[in-house]
Amino acid sequence: MAIDLTFNEEQQLIQNTAREFFAKRCPPDLARKYENSEDEFPREIWREMADLGWLGMNFPAEYDGLECSFLDMYGLYVEMGRTVAPTPHLEAVALGGALVARLGSDAQKRALLPKIAAGEALATLAFLEPDGLYGPEGVTLAATGAGSAYKLSGVKVLVPYVRSAERLVVAARTSGTSAEAGVSLFLVDPNGAGVSVERTANTGGYPLYAVSFDGAAGEPLGPVDAAWDALHEVMMQAAVLQSAMVVGAGERVLDISVGYAKDRVQFGVPIGKHQAVQYLCTDIAIQGQVTRLLALHAAWKIDSGQPFIREAALAKAQASKAAAAMTFAAHEVHAGIGFMKDYDLQLYTLRGKHWEFNLGDQRHHFDLAMRQTTRLA
Amino acid sequence: MVDFCPDDTPELKAWRMEVRGFLEEHWPVGKVFDYDYDEDEARWKEGRDFWIKVGKKGWTALTWSKDYYGLGRSAIEKWILHEELNACGAPVYPVIGLAVAGAILRLGTHEQRRQHLKGIAEGTVLWGEGYTEPSAGSDLASLTTRAHRDGDFWVLNGQKTLGTAAHHCTWMSVLARTDPDSVKHNGISCFLVPLDTPGIQMLPLHNMADGQQNQTFFENVRIPADCLLGEEGNAWNQVWFGIGGDNLDNAGPIPDPHQFRVMRMLNETLRYCRETTRGGIPLSDDPVIRLKLGELVAGVETMKLMAFETYSDAIQSGARGRGAMRPNLNQAYYKEFWPHLAQTYMEIVGPLAQIKGGKWAQLEGQFERYFRASFGNHAGGTAQLKRMVLATRGLGLPR
Repeated sequence: MAIDLTFNEEQQLIQNTAREFFAKRCPPDLARKYENSEDEFPREIWREMADLGWLGMNFPAEYDGLECSFLDMYGLYVEMGRTVAPTPHLEAVALGGALVARLGSDAQKRALLPKIAAGEALATLAFLEPDGLYGPEGVTLAATGAGSAYKLSGVKVLVPYVRSAERLVVAARTSGTSAEAGVSLFLVDPNGAGVSVERTANTGGYPLYAVSFDGAAGEPLGPVDAAWDALHEVMMQAAVLQSAMVVGAGERVLDISVGYAKDRVQFGVPIGKHQAVQYLCTDIAIQGQVTRLLALHAAWKIDSGQPFIREAALAKAQASKAAAAMTFAAHEVHAGIGFMKDYDLQLYTLRGKHWEFNLGDQRHHFDLAMRQTTRLA
Repeated sequence: MVDFCPDDTPELKAWRMEVRGFLEEHWPVGKVFDYDYDEDEARWKEGRDFWIKVGKKGWTALTWSKDYYGLGRSAIEKWILHEELNACGAPVYPVIGLAVAGAILRLGTHEQRRQHLKGIAEGTVLWGEGYTEPSAGSDLASLTTRAHRDGDFWVLNGQKTLGTAAHHCTWMSVLARTDPDSVKHNGISCFLVPLDTPGIQMLPLHNMADGQQNQTFFENVRIPADCLLGEEGNAWNQVWFGIGGDNLDNAGPIPDPHQFRVMRMLNETLRYCRETTRGGIPLSDDPVIRLKLGELVAGVETMKLMAFETYSDAIQSGARGRGAMRPNLNQAYYKEFWPHLAQTYMEIVGPLAQIKGGKWAQLEGQFERYFRASFGNHAGGTAQLKRMVLATRGLGLPR
């Protein structure tokens, strides 16, 4: 039977374990506590996730990884989205760690991956620049040098978890002007000379920073001038995981909204009896289902070794749309109570703005998908 | 295990090639026949001839039991067959007939199977639907057509409407109230009615997409007692609606042709946008059009994935195990997406999209026809109805 959209036993087990874990260990108040927090994320939870093997899921076994499939990770992200779990998994494992695993030398991998897997270090990606472009043309930060000694100068914005990071993985331009060729990655110590960091308060309360590099020392990660393809693939895989988070968050937003529509009585009846309110609830369900299907399809493409950029772009375009549309509809259902910080809905709405933009918005991904589409099959 | 590849074995790949080979021989590239929206006599004849050719291969009855004219093949082979037929614009034998066949396979007596399935399998007999009434559309269970028993006969009285292409048909599946004291879903029965019975009169209704629907009047129509399909008074649950609007034969549901047809049209549009320049650049490089196309590509992919999941669910757990959530959600999505798709095509093509045919028509007027046909999205229940059912039976909101 080759038309099948259900997880295998192991994938179900991982998702069930994750569901229990995050429900128990990451109640909504934990997300509130870590909004705008100097601590960035709860270390205790992170260590427990390390004990469960989740921080090296995608790393090679020789660097303490589990070599899980992509769909294994998918279920974990659905659950982290459902609970708005304040963890840097996407940033440190699916992006920073994955890039080190994919492009690093043996020495670089040995230095970083076991520590990341053990929950003792983070490496996070510094990609975006003030132009806000997620394509190769967005990478203009200059790196000059040779061998293992490069100097980086320029600015990165919305760089996550910088205060906790042992290394930043910085995308820089080593030649050319705007194309794929000439993009390189460098490992940079965020506490080193020539690096200055400024936290930028943001809608979702995430630990995001503007980082200025002024002749900062960088060590190449992967081939100089030729890192784009690998970098892009890792970013697009992470975009699918970000979409999976939106799927989980959407399921929770739907539950909250349907529950409220059943309980809240106005004009003598539960408001969920009114079709206008029913429509808003079905909007949330439809947007969630569309996101789920496109994300699952992209995840399957990744696991089965097929080209996946187009499917990942469609998934993230939809997830960006859904992150905004689902929370909008939920607020329409709730009105006043949903506007209150004590109520959980706003946790999803405000973080959802980051998920919408992170790794590329609708416009970016629809355009990317169209570059990859000649005909449908 | 998650898998989106229908033909992952050499046998299934060979089956796809066999279907393609047949189509290359019997259905010319570029020819399209949407019987719902076409009354051209020559095209109807080509369509009917084609159904008979497919019938001779045994493919209309591909998954039916071998005891009743079928080949006993798998659901996945049926999926591949439908994918290929729709991909080249060839007409699948009308879905009403396939649904009637599914109901007869599930509920019919041995005699009913012998009597009706052969004509459907061979593609020679066409079936119409007698469900919708002038006052019973979305609220189909409020239907008032009546049937009462008179000796060895049932006697039908009432009126049906919007019967697509019913004037081409010789049989009709009719829902009628057999318990005069019943209300709503109870007391409705299903009858297999020969349309040449005295007392039946049909009047045409012409739709805006060049198709013909029909009003059918039943006045003291006497049909033999064995025309009753399934249990008396239990048609709502048994025949179709109780299982979520989808229909099944032995091996699984009928793939929804619309979910494949949208893909063919979108591919034509993508080609058109690459090959058509405006202001010196191809339409496909215009950033506004690219964004619109991107949304449409995502929507069409979504429809295909929804079809995958519906099919996968039905094969794995049977129709009754699916609940009300996904079928209604998917239908609501599709019914809202279709007119949006058609309107967006018109916006992309621009003013010349209005031209129906001839030298100045774009894509031989396909966009224009598609736009008009998109208002047929109510068939089988409106998007609003699907959302209401999704909200109440799917999400558990109060009724």
